Amino acid sequence: MSYFFQLVVSGIVVGSIYALSALGFVLIYKSSRVLNLAHGQIIASGAFITYALTVWVGIPIVISFLLSMVITFFLAMSVERVFLRRLIGEPIISVIMVTIGLMSIIDGIIYMTPFGAGNFSFPEFLPNTPIAFWGVSISWTQFVGVIITFIMIGGFTWFFKASTVGISMRAVSDDQFASMSIGISVPKVFGLAWAAAGLSAAAAGGILGNITGLNFDVLHSFGIIVFPVVIVGGLDSIFGAVVAGIIMGLIQQFAAGYLDGNWGLNGTADVLPYIILLIILLFKPHGLFGIHEIERV
Amino acid sequence: MSENRWLATGNFFTSYKAEQRIFLTHVDRVVFIGFLVLMFVWPLIFEVGNKYMLVIDSILIAIIAVYGLNLLTGFAGLISIGHAAFVGVGAYTVATFAQILGSNHVLLTHAWPLMIVLAGCVGAIFGAVVGLPALRLKHLYLVIATLSFQMIFQWAINFSKFFDQGQTIAIGRVFWFTGKVVRKEHYLFWYYVILVFVVVLGFAVRNLLRTKHGRCLVAVRDNDRAADAMGMHPGFTKVYAFAVSGFFAGVAGALHAYMWRGVGFESFMLHHSISYLAMAIVGGLGTLMGSFFGPVAILMLDLQVENLAEFVGHYFTALGDVSTAFRPLSFGLVIVLFLMFEPRGIANWWRIIRTYFKLWPFRY
Repeated sequence: MSYFFQLVVSGIVVGSIYALSALGFVLIYKSSRVLNLAHGQIIASGAFITYALTVWVGIPIVISFLLSMVITFFLAMSVERVFLRRLIGEPIISVIMVTIGLMSIIDGIIYMTPFGAGNFSFPEFLPNTPIAFWGVSISWTQFVGVIITFIMIGGFTWFFKASTVGISMRAVSDDQFASMSIGISVPKVFGLAWAAAGLSAAAAGGILGNITGLNFDVLHSFGIIVFPVVIVGGLDSIFGAVVAGIIMGLIQQFAAGYLDGNWGLNGTADVLPYIILLIILLFKPHGLFGIHEIERV
Repeated sequence: MSENRWLATGNFFTSYKAEQRIFLTHVDRVVFIGFLVLMFVWPLIFEVGNKYMLVIDSILIAIIAVYGLNLLTGFAGLISIGHAAFVGVGAYTVATFAQILGSNHVLLTHAWPLMIVLAGCVGAIFGAVVGLPALRLKHLYLVIATLSFQMIFQWAINFSKFFDQGQTIAIGRVFWFTGKVVRKEHYLFWYYVILVFVVVLGFAVRNLLRTKHGRCLVAVRDNDRAADAMGMHPGFTKVYAFAVSGFFAGVAGALHAYMWRGVGFESFMLHHSISYLAMAIVGGLGTLMGSFFGPVAILMLDLQVENLAEFVGHYFTALGDVSTAFRPLSFGLVIVLFLMFEPRGIANWWRIIRTYFKLWPFRY
């Protein structure tokens, strides 16, 4: 039974990081209706910036974690400014394809740095002994990571619910023309949405890098798994992203724990999210918490 | 009657039939036939090494795959980032037969045209299944459906014993009327086979777009509600677009398998899907000519990038793996720059040049 609880705990740990990374994706989709396929790459670059600041520059990890969030904030904002600003008003299909191109470009840039190949791991800064309770153990890094994740998610939820900028973002996502007429600068909101997404992506990357170590291939597949999470949760629901993130984390852990090695199956954790995604798309396309106004063809 | 079928400075269609002609003028037809003859004759005149023939064969195979992607993304307006997986489905259809019957079974070596068509049909079935969400959803979600098919495909090949965990599965040498196709002639032989497929399928696409079944793709892309009101079923049209696209991809995959004489997992990864998309975008979405320009441009660029990476890696050894870095970087840049500055692709340049000659000596 403790094996089961161990899986539940590590599922929640992984799932909450999924939720945090899906958050940035949802932010961009919610305000500008753009599917940002390059989000995984932004997460990876956030993680690498944190590492470079901590290990190469020698800044304490807490400060470099915050600093990398600031850097990615401006990085994502400038990406929006350079590549996506001039596509406002173009068909959405070409905007999506631009993000596919961006995904490729950031891949290329990362491959050019030493991070493209090899493994890196953050220096230990938390106690090495795991926290154990009821036969379940969780490392300090994971524990702190989950705490930060939930603080971030809470912060973003508040930001969307109550702050002026958040409300204007929701207004833009609802009706661009109406919000323009009451004086909201739509391009500015898009830029801010990207910047906020970059910020949350850097946080996700930093936490993930501390828990699993840095390997570009791992971060890469991590970036793609965001899609099942956001689809299951509903593309434009922050709460949905959190719930679906944790569901996906649990499913992956259970699959790895119970399915692999039996009946000749292997690596099911990598594929189950996608199978679930296809099934969800077929039967409940707006996800668990998405708005129901999906246009039927 | 007085219409000049050799030279036309404008469009003077007097009937729908005239508008639907494949070749607008006789000059077009003559140029096309001349070009086709040239394509068939030049390998007989120039002796080309296997190394270069391989590149040309790969370009032609990519053209067939991009036919499919262009139908799907360009004409039906559905983005697919799983096209390499559909190509892989075709290749692994051939590989399945090789695994069950042995790589030199008569079905593989003698009945290879049948195998290629069969691979196309299997690709079509997979395409239709992946396209099923199209019955309910718009393109945003279909992108993710194709992406997840790509991931499922990679997993299925990578972890199945039947396909040797993605190791290369050998395919035997094929037979022609003159006997076994030997190593020296292998790439030349496949050049002709693939060229025939390119021409036949190219005409198939061109004719499809003249019929009701092709025009409804464009109608659904442009306005699905209006198409619905005109009596087309948008959902089924999209599923059918996926199936047709899957057919082309499957054919390309089978040709790929035969040409390389083996099927390996690493030829059908996510970044191949992205490079197929780059080909379609660079060539020009929604144009038949784009399906030719795109693969040529991208694969030539690929060669140049490889040379450049070798050159740079020679001088800047401190940089990471330059050759793996430059490829995604250049593909991404090409996609983004074309979308930002020339969204209609190289086919638009072709159109401009053609219009110039068509209207000469007038400016417009």
